[in-house]
Amino acid sequence: MTRPLLLLLLLIAGLAPVSSAEAVWEKSVVTVEVTFKDYDFFQPWNTPTRSVRKHGLYIGGQEIVTTAQYLPTETLVRLQKGGRGKWYPAKVVWFDPHADLAVITSEDPEFWVGLRPARLAKAIPQAQDFNLIRWKDGNLESRRVEFSKFTVKDGSLSFAPRLTLELNTDLGGLGWAEPVMLNGTVAGLTTSKGGNTCNVVPAPFIRQILEARAKGRYPGMGYFDFVWEPGENPTTLEHLGLKGPSRGAIVIRVPNRPGVDPVLKPRDLLLEVDGFPIDVAGDYLDPQYGHLLLENLSSRGHLAGDMVRMKVLRDGMETNISYVLPKAEYHDDLVPRELFDHPPEYVVAGGLVFQALDQPFLRGWGEDWRRRAPFRLQHYQNGSPTAERPSLVLLSNVLPDPVNVGYQEARFLVVDRINGRRISTLADVVEALKDPKDGVHRVEFMKGDTLQSLLLDAASMDQATQRVIRRYGLPAAQRITEPAAKTKTQGTMG
Amino acid sequence: MLSKTLAVAVLCLTVLGLQAGSPERSVIQILTFSQQPQFDSPWRSDNVRRSGGSGFVIKGRKIITNAHVIAWAKQILVRRYQDPRPFQARVAYAGNDCDLAILEVEDPSFFDGLEPLEFGDLPAVRSAVVTCGYPAGGEQISFTRGVVSRIEVQNYAHPGNRFLLAVQTDAAINPGNSGGPVLQDDKVVGVAFQGVPGLENAGFFIPPEVIRHFLKDIEDGKYTGFPEAGINLVPLQNPAYRRFLGLPEDGVGARVDSLRPGGPAEKLLKKDDVVLEIAGYPVGSDGTVLYRDNRVSGSILFQTVQNGETVKLKVWRDRKPIEVEVPVAVYQGDRLAGNQYDVPPRYLIYGGLVFTPLSADYLRTLGRDRPDASSSALFYELYYRRSEDPGGARSEPVVLSTVLAHPANANLRVRGKVLVNRINGVRIDCLEDVAQALGQKKEGAHVIEFAGQDGFECLEREASAQATPQVLETYGISSDRRL
Repeated sequence: MTRPLLLLLLLIAGLAPVSSAEAVWEKSVVTVEVTFKDYDFFQPWNTPTRSVRKHGLYIGGQEIVTTAQYLPTETLVRLQKGGRGKWYPAKVVWFDPHADLAVITSEDPEFWVGLRPARLAKAIPQAQDFNLIRWKDGNLESRRVEFSKFTVKDGSLSFAPRLTLELNTDLGGLGWAEPVMLNGTVAGLTTSKGGNTCNVVPAPFIRQILEARAKGRYPGMGYFDFVWEPGENPTTLEHLGLKGPSRGAIVIRVPNRPGVDPVLKPRDLLLEVDGFPIDVAGDYLDPQYGHLLLENLSSRGHLAGDMVRMKVLRDGMETNISYVLPKAEYHDDLVPRELFDHPPEYVVAGGLVFQALDQPFLRGWGEDWRRRAPFRLQHYQNGSPTAERPSLVLLSNVLPDPVNVGYQEARFLVVDRINGRRISTLADVVEALKDPKDGVHRVEFMKGDTLQSLLLDAASMDQATQRVIRRYGLPAAQRITEPAAKTKTQGTMG
Repeated sequence: MLSKTLAVAVLCLTVLGLQAGSPERSVIQILTFSQQPQFDSPWRSDNVRRSGGSGFVIKGRKIITNAHVIAWAKQILVRRYQDPRPFQARVAYAGNDCDLAILEVEDPSFFDGLEPLEFGDLPAVRSAVVTCGYPAGGEQISFTRGVVSRIEVQNYAHPGNRFLLAVQTDAAINPGNSGGPVLQDDKVVGVAFQGVPGLENAGFFIPPEVIRHFLKDIEDGKYTGFPEAGINLVPLQNPAYRRFLGLPEDGVGARVDSLRPGGPAEKLLKKDDVVLEIAGYPVGSDGTVLYRDNRVSGSILFQTVQNGETVKLKVWRDRKPIEVEVPVAVYQGDRLAGNQYDVPPRYLIYGGLVFTPLSADYLRTLGRDRPDASSSALFYELYYRRSEDPGGARSEPVVLSTVLAHPANANLRVRGKVLVNRINGVRIDCLEDVAQALGQKKEGAHVIEFAGQDGFECLEREASAQATPQVLETYGISSDRRL
C-alpha cells in the first residue's frame, strides 16, 4: 500500500496519525497507575483495593498533574513514560477532590530524564476543534474532537461548580485525564464522558489552582451556598419591586450555618455578581467564554474565603453586599457526598453496626443506587445540617448474636438517641454507650412508622461485641478517625 | 396403598359433591366496561376498557364479587351459567379496602332459579378447595382444584395499603377468576381475588371472616370499612428487653413500639406496653395469635369487630397486667396513599394552573415506580410526613399538576409536578384552601409558593382570572373545578 493511500484511509477512518508536532507530547504525557481502596460500605471493615490507569501531564518542577479521581484513597501510585516499559514508584504530593486535581512526583531521577514540560493554555478560544492525546497499547494516539460549548458544572468529586469544556466525540473510554491539545498547548484534562459528551477541566482553571498552590495560598474551592431560581417571570420580578427591563436571579434559599450571619436573604433579586450583570436565566456574559451560569463567578478568579461583590434588589431597593465565599466542604451537606479524609467509620456494639449516613454508603447499592437505595435514607440528602444535628448515624446492619436476638431484621434506621443522648456522629455513639440506664442500652430511631426503639443488655454487651468480632472476623469493634486527623489528611495538604 | 385409595376416594367425593349441589349455576360471569380518570389531568379519562370477572349469588338476590372487578365501571353486564343473555347490573356496595363488592341486577328475573350460595368457615390448611369462575382463556365456566397452602395476613393489592387475612392456595387463580367462589363441601370458603407476580402455583382468596365482616358492615345500608386501633405492635423476643419489662421468656406478649397520633389507642396505651391478649387470644412474642389453628398477625383481631366497637386487651404495664378496652375506627388518614376508586379526582383550574390532591394515583402518572430527585418531595409528603412530622402533615396535600398553556401563565417557570406550600400567604392543607386563597386576593399578583426547593411564582391576578374561562374553552374542559 502506498503512503498516500494509507493516509487517505486513515483520514477516512477519522484516525489521524501522530505528526511530528504531536509526537512531542510523548515527552509530556505519562501514564499513571493508581491502586486505591475501594471500600465495601456494607462491611466497612473490609478494604478491598482496585487499580486503574489514567493520564498525567508533566508540568515541570518534577511534578505531574492529573485529575484527583481515585487518588484520595490510593495505596500505590506508579508512573510510566513513553507508554511502555518501566514503572516508576511515585507519590501524591497534593490533591484536592473539590478541584479534581492532584500533583504526583517520583523520587527516581531516571523518570524525569527526557521529559518536557507541557504548557497549560491561559485562555481557550471558543468553537475550535481540539486534539485528544492518549496512550493506547503502547502508542500515542491523537484524535480530533469537536468543540461543543463551555458550561458550568459540579466537579466529578464535588458539588462546587466550575467552568467545564464540553467536547463532542464518539471515542470510547475517555475521562481518564487524557490531555486535550490546542495550538501546541494543553487546553485541559478530561474528567468524564456521558453519551458523546466529554467533560474537560480547562487549563485556565488548572493554572489558577496550581498557581495558588505554588504560592502556598490555596485555601480550597469556594462556592455559592445559596439556592436561586431564574427570574424569568416578569410578574415575579415586578412583585419583588424591579422597575424596567427584566433581569436578575431570585435567591430562594439561604443556608442557616452555625456562627455565620448570612448576607443574602430569600427573595433577594441578584442583579450583579463580581461586577457582571445577571440576566433572567441566571447567566452572566463572560468576556472569554460567553454566557455562563452565575455559579462560575464563585471560581472565576476566586477561591474560598475571597470576597465577591454582589448587587441585589431587596425590598425594592438596590443594595450592595459583600459575600465571602465559603469553602467547599463535604460536611456542608447533612449527607456528605464523599469522605476522602478518612476510611469509612463504624462502631459495632453487641452486633449492632452503626455507620455514618453518607453518599458513599448509599452508592453501595451500585450504579443504579438512586433507584435502589432505600428512599427514606436518600431523602435525607435534601435535609440541611443543623447545630443540633450536623450529621446522621444509622443502624446499618445487625450481625446476629444471642445478645441481639429479636433485632436481626433491623437495618437502615437512622438513630435519634442512645441512652437518651442525641446522636449525630459515631463518637456520640461511643460516648452514649458508656452510659447505660437501668442496666440496658436503649437505642431510639427517628420518628416514623418503622421500628422506634430497641434495647440491649448492658452487662453482656462487651462480651457480646468481642464474640461478634471473633465470629465475623472483624479487625476491631470500631474505626473512628479523630477529628484532628481528618483535618490533617484533607485534600488540600501541601 | 391405603392412603392412595383414600385420596382417590376424597377426590371423587369432592367431585360428586360439586355435581350434586351444582353450585356452578350460581356462579356469575361479569363483564365490566370501565373508564379510569387521569389523575394528572383530572377532568379527563382513559379509554374505555373491557374486563371480565366472576361473582356468585348470595342471599337477598344479590351478587358478590371483588371490588376490583367493578372499579370505575361505566357499565356492568352479568351472565348466568350457560345463559347467553347479558343483564345490566349496578354496584350496591363497594368495599375497596377488602376488595369486595355487592351487585344488584336491574331485571329481577335474573335470579329466577338461582340458589344463593352459603358461606362455610375458614378452611383448614392442607384441605382441598375448588375455585370456580370465568378466567381468561375461554368463555365457559372453569374449575380448578387445589389445597389451602397457608393462611396469613396479606397486602390487599386493590387498596394497596391494607393488610387483611387471606388464604393462599395452589388452585390456579387467573385473571377473570376474580370474584368467583372458592368452594369446599358446596360451601363458599372464600372469594378468589389475587395472585402474586413471580410466585408459581399461588393464588389468594378472601376468607369467610373478611366476607362476613363486609356483609355485616353493609347491613346498615352503607359501607364503612375495616377498623383499626392505630397500634404498632412489634415482636418482643430479646431476652434483655423482656427482663427489663419484667416479663418471663415464655413467648407471650408483643411490645407497643409506637401509637399512631390521633389513633383510637393513642391515649389508652403507652410505648413499651406489652400486649398479652387481644380479644381473649394470647399474643405471641412475635405479635401473632393462634387463630383457628393458624398463627396470624394479632392485627386481624381488631378487624373482626365493626367501626366504633371495642376490643379488650390484656396489657403488661409497670410490671403488672391490666385490662384495656380499645375502641377501633376506620382510618382514612392514609386514603390518598392507597389506590382510589369510583370517586373522580378533585381539581381546581385557575388561569391554566391545574391543582389536584397529591395521591398514589397521581404519583403513578409520573411514570416512575421510585422517586427521582424532582419527585422526592412528593413521595416524602405522601408516604412519610404523616408518621414523621404529624404536626406538619396536611390533610390533603395539593400539587400543581400541570399548567395549561395560555398567555396569562406563559412566563411561569414552574410547569407542574410540584407540591404547593402557600398561596398568597395561606398554607394549603387541602384543595378548598387553594380556592379560598386565590379568591381572597383583591390586589397585587398571586404569590404561589412551592415546597422543597421549588421557590415561588407570581401570577397576574386579573389576567389569570380572565384566562380561566378561555383555558376551559381551549382545552375542552367542562368545569374549572371538582371540589
